[in-house]
Order: sequence, then structure tokens, then C-alpha cells
Amino acid sequence: MSKPVTIIMIEDDDGHARLIERNIRRSGVNNEIIPFTNGTAAMNYLFGEDGTGLARKGEALLILLDLNLPDMTGIDILRRVKENNYLKCAPVVVLTTTDDSQEIKRCYELGCNVYITKPVNYESFANAIRQLGLFFSVIQVPSAAT
Amino acid sequence: VTSDATRRRVIGQILLLAAGLVVLTVISAGSVYLVNKAREDARSVVHTVEVENQLALAQLQLRRAESAQRGYLSTLRSDFQTDFEEAASRLTPALTRLSQLTSDNPVQKRLADEMLPLGNQRIEEFRKTIELAREQRIDDAAQIVREGIGRDAMKHIDDLASQMRAEEDRLFVLRTTNADRSQTLAASLTWIGSGFVVVLAGISIFLVRRSARARDRAEAQLRDNNINLEATIDERTADLREANNEIQRFAYIVSHDLRSPLVNIMGFTSELEQLRADIFRRIAVLSQTAANASPAPLVAGGAAPELEDEDQQLSQDFSEALEFIKSSIAKMDRLISAILNLTREGRREFEPVRIDTRELIEGIVATVAHQAAEAEAEIRIAPLPEIVSDRLALEQIFSNLIDNALKYLKPGVPGKISVRGRTRLGFAIFEISDNGRGIDPRDHQRIFDLFRRAGTQDRPGQGIGLAHVRALVRRLGGTMSVQSELNSGSTFTITLPIKWTASNRNRDS
Repeated sequence: MSKPVTIIMIEDDDGHARLIERNIRRSGVNNEIIPFTNGTAAMNYLFGEDGTGLARKGEALLILLDLNLPDMTGIDILRRVKENNYLKCAPVVVLTTTDDSQEIKRCYELGCNVYITKPVNYESFANAIRQLGLFFSVIQVPSAAT
Repeated sequence: VTSDATRRRVIGQILLLAAGLVVLTVISAGSVYLVNKAREDARSVVHTVEVENQLALAQLQLRRAESAQRGYLSTLRSDFQTDFEEAASRLTPALTRLSQLTSDNPVQKRLADEMLPLGNQRIEEFRKTIELAREQRIDDAAQIVREGIGRDAMKHIDDLASQMRAEEDRLFVLRTTNADRSQTLAASLTWIGSGFVVVLAGISIFLVRRSARARDRAEAQLRDNNINLEATIDERTADLREANNEIQRFAYIVSHDLRSPLVNIMGFTSELEQLRADIFRRIAVLSQTAANASPAPLVAGGAAPELEDEDQQLSQDFSEALEFIKSSIAKMDRLISAILNLTREGRREFEPVRIDTRELIEGIVATVAHQAAEAEAEIRIAPLPEIVSDRLALEQIFSNLIDNALKYLKPGVPGKISVRGRTRLGFAIFEISDNGRGIDPRDHQRIFDLFRRAGTQDRPGQGIGLAHVRALVRRLGGTMSVQSELNSGSTFTITLPIKWTASNRNRDS
């Protein structure tokens, strides 16, 4: 792995973002985390100004995605990421409050790699994030296709 | 068409019928009367003719007697005497008969009565001359005849007769006129009556046709109204369904979005808890350092330094506050989850399948066998009707009710729970009875409300079960009710259609 993995965190709730970041750090993951609080900014970053995803070519990305965003649904982001040639290999972790089985099924169908429901119980929440952090530390992420 | 107009029309028709009846009756009565009168008049005419006839007969006999007398006087032949006797014998009955016939008319009667002695007198006179002639006293007899004693009498009789005849002629004309008039009257009456009947019948037909038209119009309007009503009902149903869907979506979104901040509150409360540990450890170290006036290493062998009394108290207060916050959050989370589950259930589509209810309930009882054994409860299942419905919904309904029955038994009393069923008018009625602690009648409505519970709150629960059960029963097109008194058990009655089809209620989603 030539490049360290960058974690893209798309999460509109600052509190959640902070808690997620804190717990990821606690699990010993020190990769760069780039937070976005709305879908548009995240899309702009991921797909670049030309909207082709060429800008992220060759980067190793891991996307943490919340489904309930103020400007668009996470499902749309997921679909577009998985449809894009440069980004489709990037693992997507959906981390959201929605625990509707239909929604979960749909995410996996669209190519989501992990689906985690945010538990209200903080112990479980922290645990889940830390496990995720452990997972991040061992996961092999390919660079975006060239 | 107002009811007033209808009533007026009905009254009009009744009046018309009554009028027709009256006219017919009058015509009949009038006809009968006039026919009788005509017959009477005809009889009077006949009577007059008869009287005249009788009068002529009487005169004829008198003349016959006279001519026989004359014949005898001139020939003395005995057959003239026989003739005379015969005529004489017929005269009296003829005159008597005449008197009888004229008994209805005093004037004529008097004339007839007057005629009778005169006639007899003449006969006696004739007989006397015949006797004289037979005794060869022709001269005496001729003398009598010549004297013309009887001629006056005869003339008198003729006068009387012509008087009577004149009277009878007058009566004849009168009576004929009367008879004619009666017949004309009868005919006119019949014509007029028939005319009336025809007119009434015409009006009747007109009215009947008019009311038939009105009825047709009313029927058409009724049909229109029905169609409109159905359209209105469809519209309202669609509105209601829309409203219901909106509420469902609303509940879903609200409960869902409420969860997000809750994650933060819980998360940062837990963070605070960790901070609290750090802070109080620091305080302990600092206060110790201050007391000993000798700096000690912060991490000294891992043993947590003791807090002073005052700080100890602060730490406990801090923990208590955090605990309250956390337990409240946990409770809120449970409530939100419950709402989410309910809305999710409300959106689930039912799938009607044939269900052996008894088998289904036996399955539920098997899963709660452990709890039943703990509560020393016995669950009896009577034969139950098979129904076509949604299996999952039925499972949830019955397992909630059986759970409740087990949960709220009277402490120390062995539980007796029974499930019975019957069918009636296309519905299956299930009764789940227990001998548990019962429910105060004041709470019967409340227990079906979301998050509401009744009685002693010594069992865990959110107050969701019955609300959920009732929502399911309603969606399955049924009803449910409870009969219960405090301390004397409860009976929950569920009425479900035997055959649930994916009809209106399932179009919701």
C-alpha cells in the first residue's frame, strides 16, 4: 500500500461526527478523516469539479456514510459512488439511525459493504465504532482504479 | 319530491276513488229508483187500460142483458132467457171488479159504487119484465118497457161510465207522460253517470301516470344519489387513507429523527461520565498533594486516590445526575423504538392464509410454557374456528393477550387461562379469559391507549401491547373489547372476519 487510507466521513450531525471520530481514534486508527456535513460538499469532493471522479484517481478511500442528510439521501450518494469507475472499489460503511430492513437490504443491493445501525446505547455505539476502527486497521483498500 | 306533496297526491287519489264510488252508488241507486218508478208508471198505465176495459165489459154485459130481455119479450124463446141470466150473473162481478180496481181513486170508486145499485136495479127491472112475459103478461111487460122507467137509470149509468172513462183517459195521458219522463230520466241519469265515471277514470289515469312519472324521476334521482354517495364515500375513504398514511409517515419520521439527537445526548453523557472520572481523580490527586505538600506522581501504582468527604459527595451527586439522564434516555429510546415498530407494523402488508387457530395458539402457548410453569398457570384451549387471515398479525394478537394474562395473574393464586372461540354471521369470536387481577372498569378504555397502563405498576412493560393488538384487529376488519372487574379476572373478546380479503384496508400502502 503506497498511500494511507483516507476516511471520508459524510455525517450531518456534528455530535455524531465527533463521537465517531473520537471512538475511531480511541481504537488506534490514525488515518486522516475528512468530515462532510452535507451531501453536496461530499459529492463535490468525491467526484471533483468535473463530476467524473477523476480527481480521486489513485487514492485509497473509505467512506463512512449517514443516510439522512439534509440535502440528499445517502442512498443517492451510495448509488453514484458504486456506479463510478474510479470510486466503486472504495468500501462504503453505512452508519445511520435507520434500522428498517427494507432500507438495509437496498443498501446492500446497491453495493454497500457494511451497514451499521447507530445504537442509542453509548456502550454499544462506542464498541461498534471501535470494532469498525479495528476493521479499518486491517482492511485492505485498493487505490481507485487508474 | 317532498313528503308533503306525496301525501297530497295520495289523499287526492283516495278522494278521487271515493268520488267515483259515490257517483257509481248514486247512479245505481238512481237507476234502481227510476226503473222502479217507470215500472210503477207502466203498471198505472196498464191499470188505467184495465179500468176502461172493465168499464166497457160491465156496460157490455148490461147491454147484453137488455138485448136478451128485448129478445125474450119479442120471441119468448127460452135461450134468450138463458142469455139474460148469464149476462145478469156477469154484470155484478164486473161492477164489483171495477169498484175494486178503482179503490185507489176515491172519485172513480164513488162513481163505480154508484153504478153498482143502478145496474142491479136495471137487472131487477129486466128480470121483472121477463117474469111477467113468462106468466103470459106480455102487455104488462111491454107496458114497463114502454114506460121507459129504466131508461133514466140506463142514461145515468152511461153518464157515470163516460165520466169514469174521461177520468181514466185523463189519467192515461198523465201516467203515460209520467212513464215517459221516468224512462228519459233513467236514461239521462245513466248517461250523465257514465260520463262522470269516464271523467273520473280519466283524471285517475292522469294522476296515476303523473305519479308514475314522479316515481321514475325519484328513482333516477335515487340512483344518481347512490352513485354520488359512493363517489363521496370513495373520496372520503381516500382522504382518510391519505391522512392515515400521513400520520404513519409523520410518526415514522418523527421517531426516527428523534433518535439522532438521542444518540448525541447519550454519547456525550457517557463522555461526561468518563470526564467525571478523570476530573475527580485529578481533584483527589491535587487535594492529596496539597495536604502532603509534596508532589506525588499522578499515576501512582494504579490505585485510585481517596477523595475527601466533600469531594466524595460531589462525585456522588454527579453520578446520580448522570444516572438519571441515562435512564431517561434509555426510556425515551424504548418509547421511540415502540413507535417505530408500530408504524412499521402499520405499513406491513397482510397476507391472508388459512389458519388453524388452535394450532397457532398451541404454538404460542408452547413458547410461554416456561413462564406459565413459573406462574403455576394452566392454559386451556377449546376447539377454535379456522379463519383466513394474516398469520403474523394473529400470532402477535394472541401472544400479546396470553402474555398479558400470564403477566397479570393474582399473586399466590394458580392461574387459569382459557381460550374459547365460536363463529357468528361470518365472524369468528375469540375469548381469552383469565382469573387474574382484573382491570378497573374505569381503565377499560385507557388500557388500549399507547403508552398507558392500568393497575399496580409492578411488571415491566411500555404500555404498547394492547394498543398494538387493537390496531392489528382493526386492520384485520375486526373489533375487540374487554369485560373485567378488579380482582375477578378479565375476558378479552376479539371479533375477526372469518375470511379476510385484501380489500380496502390493504390498499393503504
